[in-house]
This record gives sequence, C-alpha cells and structure tokens, in this order.
Amino acid sequence: MIEFKEVHKWFGELHVLKGITLKVAPAEVLVVCGPSGSGKSTLIRCINRLEPIQKGELIVDGMRVHESKTHMTKLRAEIGFVFQQFNLYPHMTALQNVTLAPIKVRRIARKQAEEEGRRVLAKVGLGDKLHQYPAQLSGGQQQRVAIARGLCMKPKIMLFDEPTSALDPEMINEVLEVMRNLAREGMTMIVVTHEMGFAREVSHRVAFMDFGELIEIAPPEEFFARPRSERTRLFLSKILTH
Amino acid sequence: MWLFYIEQLLGSLPFFLKGLWMTIAVSGLSLLAGTLVGFLWGILRASRSRLLKPLIGAWVDLVRGTPFLVQVFIIFFILPEFGIHLEAFAAAVIALTNLAACFICEIVAAGIESVPPGQREAAASTGLSGLQQLRYVILPQALRVSLPPLVGQYVLLIKDSSVVSAIGVVDVTRVGWLTVQRVPQGLLVFGLVALLYFIICYPLIRLSNRLENRMSAGYTRSRD
Repeated sequence: MIEFKEVHKWFGELHVLKGITLKVAPAEVLVVCGPSGSGKSTLIRCINRLEPIQKGELIVDGMRVHESKTHMTKLRAEIGFVFQQFNLYPHMTALQNVTLAPIKVRRIARKQAEEEGRRVLAKVGLGDKLHQYPAQLSGGQQQRVAIARGLCMKPKIMLFDEPTSALDPEMINEVLEVMRNLAREGMTMIVVTHEMGFAREVSHRVAFMDFGELIEIAPPEEFFARPRSERTRLFLSKILTH
Repeated sequence: MWLFYIEQLLGSLPFFLKGLWMTIAVSGLSLLAGTLVGFLWGILRASRSRLLKPLIGAWVDLVRGTPFLVQVFIIFFILPEFGIHLEAFAAAVIALTNLAACFICEIVAAGIESVPPGQREAAASTGLSGLQQLRYVILPQALRVSLPPLVGQYVLLIKDSSVVSAIGVVDVTRVGWLTVQRVPQGLLVFGLVALLYFIICYPLIRLSNRLENRMSAGYTRSRD
C-alpha cells in the first residue's frame, strides 16, 4: 500500500530522512515513535507530498509520489491526514468542515454528503455538534471532527501526526477510542505518537526513528519486550517511566 | 455680508453637486477596478510564483514611494508624448485605479499570509485543488482580516481623488477652486467642499469600525 525505497529528504542543509526503506501493507496499523526532531512527522508528511522528497522512491496506492509529474490532488483524496493542531476550518461548522471535500472533490450532491457527514460525526460521538464552530468545541472534540473530515472522503489510508499531543490528558482517550475502532475496521493507518499503550494494544508493528533513520521496526510484543537497538532501549526507558 | 455670500454659494449648489457626482464617478470606478486588480495582485503576491511575486512587489513599492500627484501628471502629460492620448477623466481613473490596486494588493496579501499554513495543508490533504483551497478555505479567512483595513483604505482613496482636480477634472475640489474666485470666502467655500467629502466618507468610517468589532469577536457565532 505504501512503499518507501531509500527515501532521502533535506530541509536545505539539514538531512532529515536518511534512506528510509519501509513497506506498509493494506489494513496494517503502524505506529512510529521517536524523539522530537527524529523525522517521524516528516516521514508521514512525505506520503501525501505535503513535503516533497529529494531522493529515492515512494509509491503509495500504486502512484509514484516521488515523480513530480504525479498529480497529487487525486491521491490526496484517498489519504486522510490528521494534524497535531487539528487545523479545522474556523469559519465553518463541524458539518461544513467534513462535507467540503466530498462536495468539491468527489462531487457528491450536498444532501448526500451531509447525510454521510452526519453519520460519520455521529460515529465519532459528535452527532449533537453538527452545527457548532470549531471555536465552540473542546480540543478532543475538534480532533474527532478532524478525523471525521478525513473519513468522509472514504480514504484508503489514514495518517495521524501526533493526534493527541496538543490535547489535555482527559481528552486523549476519546480520540484514541475513535482510532482504535478505525483500526479494528481494517483501515490502513500510520500513527506518529508517543502513546505507547495505543501502540501495544492496537498496532501491528512499531517503528522507532532517530536522527532521520529508521532504527528498528517490529511487532509490539517484540518491540517493547526485546528492543534490539541501544537507542530504542534508551528512548523507551525515558518514555515509559512516566 | 455673510448672508450675501451664503446666498451666492447656494446659487452655485448645482455646480457643487455636479462636482460631487464627478468625485463619486472617479472614485467609484477606480475603487471597483482597483479592488478587482488589487485582489488579483494580492493573491499572486502571496503565492509562490517566482516571477510575479517580486515583480508586483517592486511595482507596489514604486507606486507607494512616489507622490500621487506626480503619478497623475505622468499619466496625463507624459503618456501623450508616446502617442497615448487620454482624456483627463480617463487619466484620473487609471491613476487612481493603479493607486487603489497597489494598496489593496498589500492588504489582501497580508490577509492571506495571516491564515496559518496548517489551513492550506489541511485543505490540500483532503484533495482540494489550489484554486479550491484559495476559494473555500484561505480567502474567506483572509477576507475577515482584510475587510476593515480595506474599507478604511477606500476612505483614503476617495480623499486622494481630490488630487485629480490638478489635471482639470471638475470634481468637488475643482469646483471649490472655481467658486472661490467668484465668492472670495475660502472658509465658507472649502468648508462646503470638506462637508461633501465627509458625507461620502463618514458611513464608510462607521462601517470599518463595525467590521473591526465584529472581527475581534472571533468565530463563535452558532447556528443553533
């Protein structure tokens, strides 16, 4: 579904991805962790070319993302992206936020799109917030609207960039719950997160990144019980003690 | 004596109203065209275009860095040297349109740049095209920021239109000049001129203030 082959990325002089090779299968849930600045957010931002790569190959759903002639708007419609800061449209209600792309990109009739929007918002527990503006919603609610916005496009892949990092602790679980359900339904997901409980419970594999390199990737039982790299051990000891 | 002058002034009121109409025509046309051009320039200026962005920037700086009166003279007196002959009215509208476009371009570009980059990223990642991102996500938010200064700029531009009287356009200011030669009461005559400008501008000033208040209220109005 997603394949990185020796992918390199630079921000000017800064080498942020150093030869990433990685394959994600359909219906797989991959959690990516690592210290800040390790390149994990950049990794998933490359998948829908929010960041272009400079070297290597990146093939997503059969499309060659690394080639500049590849038309991204079509592929992006198939990939939901959830941001750390939600990035909901502040001038639109929850329902308008989730129906904009289905109406304008998929060209679905407004009535039908709104019906679907209502259904998806109800599914993430916001059936009573359809006509609220983002500023009237809590952080957890906003992030669930953001997930619903992705889901309304019926994507093949969902990418999550630290979806709970900007949330108050008591709101983290309501967002994770939505993501758990999504994983159970067989969605292909890459989740950048420090929520190791979520990784242990839901993911098929966990990857650890540091300094732009993919240090280690393994099923969660193995990843947490017997990390092979010293750097992974060090990171886990820091993150799991609190 | 005063009464006599006021009577005389009232006698030339139709003349003043004609001047007022000319001021409204020049500013109205220029503001309309200047807004359209200014939005286009502003969008391009806030874009990633490597050619147009610096080009528009340089033009805006040039226009902002020279007196409007000189710009009007250049268009009216110097263009004919190159075979482009313009009526005073046309020259006035072109000069004021260009001035308006430059100021509005800056306001619009600033508005677009005030929208957080995450908004464009979010819109792009749902598959909206560049134009759709602009139309449905970026511009509505940019406009909210830009509208109060935009209306404020209209007021400045309407007042700037008085400069075109220098090339013989008979606007309110020109009518003042002509009248004061018959009615030697500068205070009275130009008091009336000022009043006529104020009557046009005051509603716009009020509108600008109201928009400002509405904007600072934030995105909180609910629909239910």
